[in-house]
Amino acid sequence: MTFPHLFSRRQMLLFTLPATFLLLPARLAAAEAVDYARDVKPVLKAQCYSCHGAREQKGKLRVDTVTLMMSGGRSGASIVPGKSDDSLLLEKITHGPANKRMPPPPKAPLTDKQVTLLKAWIDQGAKAPDNEKPDDPRDHWAFQTPKRMPEPVVKNAMWPRNGIDRFILARLEKEGLTPSPEADRITLIRRLSLDLLGLPPSPKEVDDFLADQRADAYERLVDRLLSSSHYGERFARLWLDQARYADSNGYTIDSARSIWKYRDWVIDAINKDKPFDTFTIEQLAGDLLPGATMEQKIATGFHRNTQINEEGGIDREQFRVESVVDRVNTTGSVFLGLTVGCCQCHDHKFDPISTKEYYQLFAFLNSADEPLLEVPAPGQLEARAKVRAQIAELEKKLKVLDSTTDEAQIHWEENVSDVDRERLPEEIRNILAIARSGRSRKQEQTLKTAFRRIDQSRHVVAGLGDPYPYLALAHLQALAARGTLEIRIIELKAAEPKVVTTMVMQERKTPRLTTIHIQGDFTRKGDAVTPGTPSVLHALKVPRSAGLNRLDLAKWIVDPNNPLTPRVAMNRYWQHYFGTGLVETENDFGTQGTPPSHPELLDWLATEFIAQKWSMKAMHRLIVTSATYRQSSKHRADLLAVDARNRLLARQSRLRLDAEIVRDTALTSSGLLTPTIGGPSVFPPQPEGVYLFTQVRRDWKANTDADRYRRGMYTYFWRSAPHPGLTVFDAPDAATTCTRRNRSNTPLQALTLLNDQAYFEFAQALATRILKEAKDDNAERIQLAFRLCLARTPSEREERRLKELLAQQIAAFEEAPESEAQLFAPKISPKISPRQQAAWTMVARVLMNLDEFVTRE
Amino acid sequence: MDPSSSLLWQTRRHFFGQCTLGLGSLALTSLLKSDNALTAADARAINPMAPKAPHFAPRAKNVIFLFMAGGPSQLELFDHKPELLKYHGKPIPESFIKGKRFAFMDTFAKDPPKLLATRRKFARHGKCQTWVSDCLPHTAGIVDDIAIVRSMKTDVFNHGPAKVFVNTGSPQFGRPSMGGWVTYGIGSESKDLPGFVVLQSGGRGPRGGAANWASGFLPTAYQGVPFRTTGEPILNLSSPKGITSKRQRDVLDALRDLNAERLEDTGDPEIATRIASYEMAYKMQTSAPDLIDVSKESKQTLDLYGAAPGRVSFANNCLLARRLVERGVRFVQLYHTDWDHHGSGGDDLDGGLDGCCKATDQAAAALIKDLKQRGMLDDTLVVWGGEFGRTPMGEPREKIGRNHHIDAYTMWLAGGGIRPGISLGATDEFGFSSVEDQMHVHDLQATVLHLLGLDHLKLTYRFQGRDFRLTDVHGEVVHKLLV
Repeated sequence: MTFPHLFSRRQMLLFTLPATFLLLPARLAAAEAVDYARDVKPVLKAQCYSCHGAREQKGKLRVDTVTLMMSGGRSGASIVPGKSDDSLLLEKITHGPANKRMPPPPKAPLTDKQVTLLKAWIDQGAKAPDNEKPDDPRDHWAFQTPKRMPEPVVKNAMWPRNGIDRFILARLEKEGLTPSPEADRITLIRRLSLDLLGLPPSPKEVDDFLADQRADAYERLVDRLLSSSHYGERFARLWLDQARYADSNGYTIDSARSIWKYRDWVIDAINKDKPFDTFTIEQLAGDLLPGATMEQKIATGFHRNTQINEEGGIDREQFRVESVVDRVNTTGSVFLGLTVGCCQCHDHKFDPISTKEYYQLFAFLNSADEPLLEVPAPGQLEARAKVRAQIAELEKKLKVLDSTTDEAQIHWEENVSDVDRERLPEEIRNILAIARSGRSRKQEQTLKTAFRRIDQSRHVVAGLGDPYPYLALAHLQALAARGTLEIRIIELKAAEPKVVTTMVMQERKTPRLTTIHIQGDFTRKGDAVTPGTPSVLHALKVPRSAGLNRLDLAKWIVDPNNPLTPRVAMNRYWQHYFGTGLVETENDFGTQGTPPSHPELLDWLATEFIAQKWSMKAMHRLIVTSATYRQSSKHRADLLAVDARNRLLARQSRLRLDAEIVRDTALTSSGLLTPTIGGPSVFPPQPEGVYLFTQVRRDWKANTDADRYRRGMYTYFWRSAPHPGLTVFDAPDAATTCTRRNRSNTPLQALTLLNDQAYFEFAQALATRILKEAKDDNAERIQLAFRLCLARTPSEREERRLKELLAQQIAAFEEAPESEAQLFAPKISPKISPRQQAAWTMVARVLMNLDEFVTRE
Repeated sequence: MDPSSSLLWQTRRHFFGQCTLGLGSLALTSLLKSDNALTAADARAINPMAPKAPHFAPRAKNVIFLFMAGGPSQLELFDHKPELLKYHGKPIPESFIKGKRFAFMDTFAKDPPKLLATRRKFARHGKCQTWVSDCLPHTAGIVDDIAIVRSMKTDVFNHGPAKVFVNTGSPQFGRPSMGGWVTYGIGSESKDLPGFVVLQSGGRGPRGGAANWASGFLPTAYQGVPFRTTGEPILNLSSPKGITSKRQRDVLDALRDLNAERLEDTGDPEIATRIASYEMAYKMQTSAPDLIDVSKESKQTLDLYGAAPGRVSFANNCLLARRLVERGVRFVQLYHTDWDHHGSGGDDLDGGLDGCCKATDQAAAALIKDLKQRGMLDDTLVVWGGEFGRTPMGEPREKIGRNHHIDAYTMWLAGGGIRPGISLGATDEFGFSSVEDQMHVHDLQATVLHLLGLDHLKLTYRFQGRDFRLTDVHGEVVHKLLV
């Protein structure tokens, strides 16, 4: 073929490009001028800056200004104004096989349209704005102090209820959208109860709210809910996700641990509305506060929730270092919304944080010991001391007795006859053959135990007796007395009050030396570093520069000048109420994160948080009393085209309940809930066979008392095999910090709600409750069932459908032998037949499996 | 969920335009089939396991990973090292171990570790004349169908982190596992079974438990589902006592009607997904017990594997793996514990190793033969191996055993585009290091994905500001292994 010679290489390129590419330039070249700032720069920023920008310059090339592109890199200028065919940039992104083109995978190649625009821009002379400044990630929005903008003016001045609404509405009006109407009152009370307490409202609470005609009935409801102790549970569980709380050590052996006191501390702190700054300081450095209280020490359990590897043959230092790494990364995610973990091995590719700065943060967290703290109940220590004194007394007596036996033993050793010796086990004979001074401690112990045993069997006593009859006698008496004493000691030890322990941090007197780990490898030590904070953020204002510790770090985090922490915290609350944060990447506020949908609102909330003295309750109240929050969650056809993901919030979102709340809701509806707050974790029933897949089989004895019906957050959490009812509904695995839960929708969830023994019990209890509490009328019973499960009453069609099911089931059970109905209907009253009860259990199962049942509307 | 929402909306309108509620005629599956406008991506909005096109034409459709938990000793099984006989009992030259870290460093630190010759007899087998020891007579019989990699390399030497490393590409707990990545990438063909199934045999579950088949930051739908091989295969699979299939159906019919009503009312496509989930759950209630019931297999097949109905064994699990793959399940992982033969108690290279080999050798070979005779081996990739190998040096314990070793060990692969009858890689005279064609765990992962039509560089998930991959920032497809 000769025709390639007719074309230059770059012209040839055209043939390899898709047809659309050939069509577009004509249209563009005709008139439209390409705007660099609008059409080109954003593409380059997204596709190229990470390797050819401020943080990294592969091939010595930067493309973040036009000037830099013209001066080029190792291969020369990347653009030639007016001549796209001669521009290396264009060649690199279009030429060659797809996998060799820029940008490399996993980035997608530029679209035809992007290429066309880029080409046209070069051909039009590669015009740049005046004074274009090189990209500087330090200028990134999240690193700037939040600015409190005045609340925007809106056309529909009647709609907003507070500042939040003006920001939301202004944006909607700009897009030509209107907010949704307020949800009905029943939806609102169920939404609020589930969001603030994680429990559905009772029919009475619904009635009271419906009957409350006062203008501020809604706000009163909010205040009532915020003062409930269940509020602390709800938000504690969200915090525990971030704290990676669990009741076991993780990794392979996954032994039990005791740290529920920390969990209870979180509940209590939130209920007391401990300001977020204090809340943070106590968890990161409570032990370092002057005169630290027991509670402040318990709070440091936050960073003790790391896993512990108990596998044989490990290098302990390696796993200690890994837990510190986890603490640094968790601190970054939870409080700063930054992916500092990237810098463990190399300088951050995108954000202005260096490896050295990573290890400076590491240094703050590297100097703690990790002890257990005893948390005694009142009087417990005194009681224990008393018992221990008794034990000590008895042990003293033991010692006296032992000296008699020891003497006897020595005598025996020296005098044991050959005949007697022959009868001894080989191991003992071997030990006897070793001179007393040459025996190991273990051998001594073995001999001692053996002597006491043989002695009692009288074989050797004769041998022992002859020259010193009194010794043999004394010895036998000593042994008898010994037995009694030992039993007494065992009894006392069993009776000793067991003081609860919890895992805490405790700063060492001398800090550990921290060095950079080259490429994240702790065996490769680089330069030594001292504690310090990333320079892109606000300064650490401490009068001294030496001896910085965790407390300084904690105070730095909650410094009002910190641009990140208040934004990050507010964004997570927002996510709780609307499903997605204003910043969708709730754990990455860095340059790779998504920009906020409503930047002014985020800043307004952040500054408001500080103005409210970090009161978490005040902020929850602010959000849930907004008109934005109170909207209906119904999908709207008009929004689908423009805002399918509901980022503009012209409606509320329907959200599937969190794993624990699914359980709590079923417990509440059925009337079984044990509302006790706090205490050791509990063991509700779980299906058989969970531990067939773990290294260590656990003995899961389901509670049969009131603890069987505790809220989901108290279920004992084994990391290697968590309760399946939790995992199936996306409870986090507590391996690392979790700042946002998944919301999946799977057949395994269906199997759980349909068939799990626990949920079947709930359905039975609900059926019983309906039959007991409602009048003897099916319509009334269905009404009550609906109100218990969904707060609302059924539609006519819903009622009809359930009556149909009921009739069908009663008929079916009439045909079936009575015993079949009795199988799953515990008798409640002579008036109600097992058949009826069984049929109602079926109705209850339908209700407890409804999408609406597990959804916050 | 975004672009599909609008399509679902349209589909829903179309759908409800034709059906009347409350008639019990709502068949949601038809929602998936009836409308041409629904793409695979839209189907995913309803079912996260819906099949999805790979990046390029795949060689394998399914994977069966025979995970030999504990670290089988390659020096007793595959890696024939006559030099060890000569130097048996001599300390290993310091140049080998200088600067290396091992598990149980303290025992190694006391005395310079001594080389240990195997007591097993090696012979060449098959047309390819590959060395296999007498521990694995059945595997020796299939060497012409498999590719043996003698030069595996991993990074971590403790069981938990090392297992998680093979499964997730990172020694840190909490990342998505290979089966999770695969089903996230291409879904599963099975309509009534989970796409990623985990089976277990041996004395206990694998160290690390659920972390080995976790979905990590991927949507939780991509978690492996543990199947029990006796009793109830999936937790909560059976209806509660006294609930017949008919009664369960009655409940589901009413449930579906009420959910459909709510769907109409709120317009939330998530409810359509919920309806589909319940229908699939109902199907699973029949399909999963059918699956684990191997009694309908011919005697010949049962004998081939050494399987017996109702037993918990690796043999039964291998047979189940074939049955799962037959039903379109994408990724099946079998764990067999415990190959950790240090030399104490029963964990030694005599009886301990014999026990593991007896429990697994015949069935693993049978799986290959069975897949082959059914014409399924071409589409099914089988991987055999553990989290690491064992040292050429013995351990000073009561019985003979070896320590964990990460620099060189053996795995084998078969089917699904793997070149049969080859050996890849070689180790030095003591079997300490790979000296030829080293294959790192990340390379294995890249290769498995490649065979499924997935580019390991492109199969990413954005989390905490980074595009994560199964292979972290490493991994090369090992083309020498491919047909």
